[in-house]
Amino acid sequence: MSISPNEVPFAGTVPSPKTENEGMITGSWRTRRPILDADKCTECLICWISCPDSSIKAASSGMEFNLKYCKGCGICNEVCPVGAISLVPELDFED
Amino acid sequence: MGVVKRISGCVATANAVKLADVDVICSYPIRPYTGIMSELARMVADGELDAEFVYGEGEHAQLSVVYGASASGARTFTGSSGVGVTYAMEVYSPISGERLPVQMAIADRTLDPPGDFGSEHTDALCTRDQGWIQGWASNPQEALDMTLMYYRIGEDPRVLLPQYACQDGYFVSHILGEVEIPDAAQVKEFLPPYKNHHVLDVRTPQIIGAQMEPKMGPGMQYQRYVAMEGSRKVIEEVHDEFGRMFGRKYDPWVEEFMTDDAEVAIFIQGGHAETGKTVVRRLRSLGEKVGLVRLRTFRPFPTEQVRNALSKFKAVGTVDNSVNFGISGAAGVLLTEARTALYGLGDKIPTVGFVAGLGGEMITHDEFYKMFMKLKEVAKAGKADKQSYWLPFEL
Repeated sequence: MSISPNEVPFAGTVPSPKTENEGMITGSWRTRRPILDADKCTECLICWISCPDSSIKAASSGMEFNLKYCKGCGICNEVCPVGAISLVPELDFED
Repeated sequence: MGVVKRISGCVATANAVKLADVDVICSYPIRPYTGIMSELARMVADGELDAEFVYGEGEHAQLSVVYGASASGARTFTGSSGVGVTYAMEVYSPISGERLPVQMAIADRTLDPPGDFGSEHTDALCTRDQGWIQGWASNPQEALDMTLMYYRIGEDPRVLLPQYACQDGYFVSHILGEVEIPDAAQVKEFLPPYKNHHVLDVRTPQIIGAQMEPKMGPGMQYQRYVAMEGSRKVIEEVHDEFGRMFGRKYDPWVEEFMTDDAEVAIFIQGGHAETGKTVVRRLRSLGEKVGLVRLRTFRPFPTEQVRNALSKFKAVGTVDNSVNFGISGAAGVLLTEARTALYGLGDKIPTVGFVAGLGGEMITHDEFYKMFMKLKEVAKAGKADKQSYWLPFEL
């Protein structure tokens, strides 16, 4: 259902989201899920800076993937220098 | 008081840009519009104009540079001709969608082929439906005045739309005319500084040109539609005020020339109208009831005003200086727009399309004469036997 023109932001310009945008959840696009092997991870942050969707969080307990927005592009898997991130088909998961 | 000089359309436009005190200019060379940029470059180099002069690596970049500059709150200017205009095609809609009042001068040039340096309205008309205000100047003075008025219209908070200020290549851009360059202080009063609706600034981060969800699409398009339709009132107000301040009164929509009691008329836009007027004057002196209507603003198209202007004649001929292969009526976009304006009236005014002046050829007196003679025939018969004629081959 279309939103009334008065409610659409002027020229579509909106403040930069400081948190997550609930209106544009992109995790459902994913066909492969990144899985981290915490033993191999050196916390070099290359995956964190390379993620085009800012879906990797550098938490105190280690790297975390935000699966609500991760589209499964696989860049993190590609750039990881120690091979700590693998891509597992989504169909292998129950959820 | 201003000063009077003999200058070309390009130099007139450059003077208007200087008077508008723009902040950012982005150039890329292509004839004939490039005359505007060379004059502006000189003004910046000589310290006459304090503006950032950016060299784009192409027309797509030119439009992208002014897009960003305008979003940051700068008054901007760019321009192009011919294939340069079409190369930047992707960027026109984002600029109007973002509601940034960028101004672009277009000095017409043919597309390829023939790619000669001649003028044809095809380049600018390709861009006509991208949400920009658009119109044609027919002489250097009008080119200067139009540039100033378009900034004021586009930057009005009720409009916030970019503008194409068009002039025929060579016929207007490179032929000298007497131009009154207004006083800078007076222009400043007419054109207050540009205030952006939402300024791109690191202190208030924003997403500009964000990917929208489908359900927001219709509303966004509707906003732009309302702005374009609403600009009609502002266009009239600004022309009124300009006339009061500078003494040059223009009808914002159509200029009627010797249309009183005229039975047939030519409907045309741009510099070729000047040639048409000399033929009208000559035919009038021979007792022929002919007239000419020149369209000044193409977008938004003045449907009502064109209907009122054209509905009083027994036959109307439109002159298209552009190619629209396969178009309804087999002439050009002026014919289809004029017919659309007239159709709702229920009158049966025969309209005939003429395609003329292609490839940068001038439309000669003889050709205008033949058009008027054809229109007389059509008026007498009450109908046309053919939708349109390509000159010089078919008439």
